[in-house]
Amino acid sequence: MNKIKIIIKREYLTRVNKKSFLVMTFLGPILICLLMFTPIFLENIETERLNILVVDQTLNVSDNDSTYLFKNQFKSSDKIKFDYLDDIVAAQSILKEGAVDGVLEIVKTNDTPPIKGFMYYGESEISSTTQSEIKNQLSNILKNNILRFDYGMAEKEIEWINNPTVDFYTKNIFSGEESYNEIKILLGGVSGFLIYFFVFLFGAQVMKSVSEEKMNRIVEILVSSVKPVELLFGKIIAVALVSLTQIALWIVLIIGIVGVAQTTFPEVFSMQVEQSITIEQRVITVDQINSVENSPVSNIIKGLSAINYPLVIGMFVFYFIMGYLLYASLFGAIGSLLDVDTDGSQFTLPVTIPLILAIICLPILMENPTSNIAFWLSIIPFTAPVAMMVRIPFGVPIWEICLSCGLMIIFIILCIMLAAKIYRTGILMYGKKISYSEVWKWIKYRN
Amino acid sequence: MNILETIDVSKSYSSHKVLDKVSIKVKEGEIFGLLGPNGAGKTTLIRMINQITAPDEGEILFLGERLKRNDIQKIGYLPEERGLYRKMKVSEQAIYLAELKGLSNKEAKKRLEYWFDKFEIGDWWNKRVEELSKGMAQKIQFITTILHEPKLLIFDEPFSGFDPLNANLLKNEILNLRDKGATIIFSTHNMESVEEICDSIALINKSKKILEGNVNEIKEKFKHNVFEIIIPNQENVNSLLSEDCNIINSVVDKERLIMTLSITEGNNADLLSNILKHTNILSYKEILPSMNNIFIETIKNNE
Repeated sequence: MNKIKIIIKREYLTRVNKKSFLVMTFLGPILICLLMFTPIFLENIETERLNILVVDQTLNVSDNDSTYLFKNQFKSSDKIKFDYLDDIVAAQSILKEGAVDGVLEIVKTNDTPPIKGFMYYGESEISSTTQSEIKNQLSNILKNNILRFDYGMAEKEIEWINNPTVDFYTKNIFSGEESYNEIKILLGGVSGFLIYFFVFLFGAQVMKSVSEEKMNRIVEILVSSVKPVELLFGKIIAVALVSLTQIALWIVLIIGIVGVAQTTFPEVFSMQVEQSITIEQRVITVDQINSVENSPVSNIIKGLSAINYPLVIGMFVFYFIMGYLLYASLFGAIGSLLDVDTDGSQFTLPVTIPLILAIICLPILMENPTSNIAFWLSIIPFTAPVAMMVRIPFGVPIWEICLSCGLMIIFIILCIMLAAKIYRTGILMYGKKISYSEVWKWIKYRN
Repeated sequence: MNILETIDVSKSYSSHKVLDKVSIKVKEGEIFGLLGPNGAGKTTLIRMINQITAPDEGEILFLGERLKRNDIQKIGYLPEERGLYRKMKVSEQAIYLAELKGLSNKEAKKRLEYWFDKFEIGDWWNKRVEELSKGMAQKIQFITTILHEPKLLIFDEPFSGFDPLNANLLKNEILNLRDKGATIIFSTHNMESVEEICDSIALINKSKKILEGNVNEIKEKFKHNVFEIIIPNQENVNSLLSEDCNIINSVVDKERLIMTLSITEGNNADLLSNILKHTNILSYKEILPSMNNIFIETIKNNE
């Protein structure tokens, strides 16, 4: 036991002291933060408020009352300010003068749909996000009007229909749940990919390190002091600790960078606080919902905060360790087959294929995390770490998690036993071409 | 006292028998040569002593007791295929290997400093192995093998790859260690390289031990009463020699005549006095068979 400690210490320290480790440690979080912040900053850069002049031509004259369908109904936001004018010619000349950014003319026709919006723009075209927001508001207002006039609903009822006062967490199928789903898909995809990436990265490190010791010819000196299994597992554990150190440092650095960014640019983050909707709030106002829906950033934040992090992180760490142990032991065995002049691809391929298969299936999994394929991929130990991570944010029945974990543990034990057998023979086979049938013989050796 | 004893040790890989009931005895304090051609099974036997592999059958005794896991701390092993971590500092590496053999970090450092002083290589302390020449690396390998002061030292093909200077240094250090009480096992196919320093040998051929014993006794046993005599060159050689003596070989070297003779046992005195009546004897010595010849003869006899 003491010797494993010595091995782990050396393997760990040599890796952590490498320049590449330092570079990865600092570069990783910076890249991740750049990826995270770029959309937020882009969002923020676009804060120049647009002035839109609405010319509503849909005067509705009924029995005793005349109303505009759209006039004064648009909701101004940080990005768009709506003003109203009745005269389209006057509005167009204001636009030509440059006092506003666009003129929206709404007319009623006899076609279907009966309402048409025309967007006039000045020197620059209105961005597609602004356009789609205006389109959204248009159809919302129309819908509200239909409810009000055709179904005679009161303002309060319409508000209720638009924003059912249901529990935000359990009945979110009826609320703004589409975007949350996207976030879950994203989260599942990202964590699945990260597992794939880490398992590959650190598994390959084990392989490289084993083959280096063999090619250095130091391995026979080592195994005259320690058991081959101790050597292999000292290495596997050390690389696992290195990877966990790296991940921990990343998390700390990312939190640090986010913290610095938060204090440096408070305005980017502040608006999220205003718009947050607490669970305790039973009735959510239209404005709140609208402001949430109108702001993709806060939507992401909301979606992210709706996720069960202890479960996701716990599962991530568990499946990372499991996947790593499974593949690292196999990679270690392969490393022992390599020598100075051998071509390793014939041995690495069979091990990497299941891992690559999992990553190929990632889009399918993300599209339908509850499908049969997703189920089987998350049960088969070789693809489970990646596939299960995609499924976790959507909720996986406990028995499936247990089955998947149990099978993984059994497979890991089998793989470790197999790897140890191959390893202890492989490391001492110098200058000999090794074939699969040869490896098969080693597996049958006693020791 | 035998420091090491193998009793009917056998090992097979698949259908191929690598060792077949091999028994050897190594006495404490001697230099033991494990000799035989490549592929005879020497390395497999050595790996068993180092507990890298285990025998299928048979037993290995260390200091009279069954070989235990802890015994590896009393054994130093320099394998035929040997190397070091290229990127690691020389001192750290040597200390690491010594720690794996059970030394404390502090003790390992102290002993390493002693050896660095002795070999006058103090300035290598912080160098990486890749910065060293091959000969330098060999010295480090030797130091790492003996740093934990093992009772039993095993060198597999020790002189292969060593330049003559280092090989000589190594030989002297090994003899020093023997004088301090260590037992040495040399394993080699190059029998000439070790026969003059070995006390005992075992010959292994095709997975079987074919000969074992004290070197002098073996040579005595295999000698054929062959002598080399050197006298001043002259034409009438045959008149000098007695009847029971055959010339195997004779060479003229300038003024001298070098002859290899086989003589019936016990007739040396007659021959020498006969020669001395006519001329001088510059040199006269018995030619003992080389290990190589003994090996070849043993194989022939076994067939």
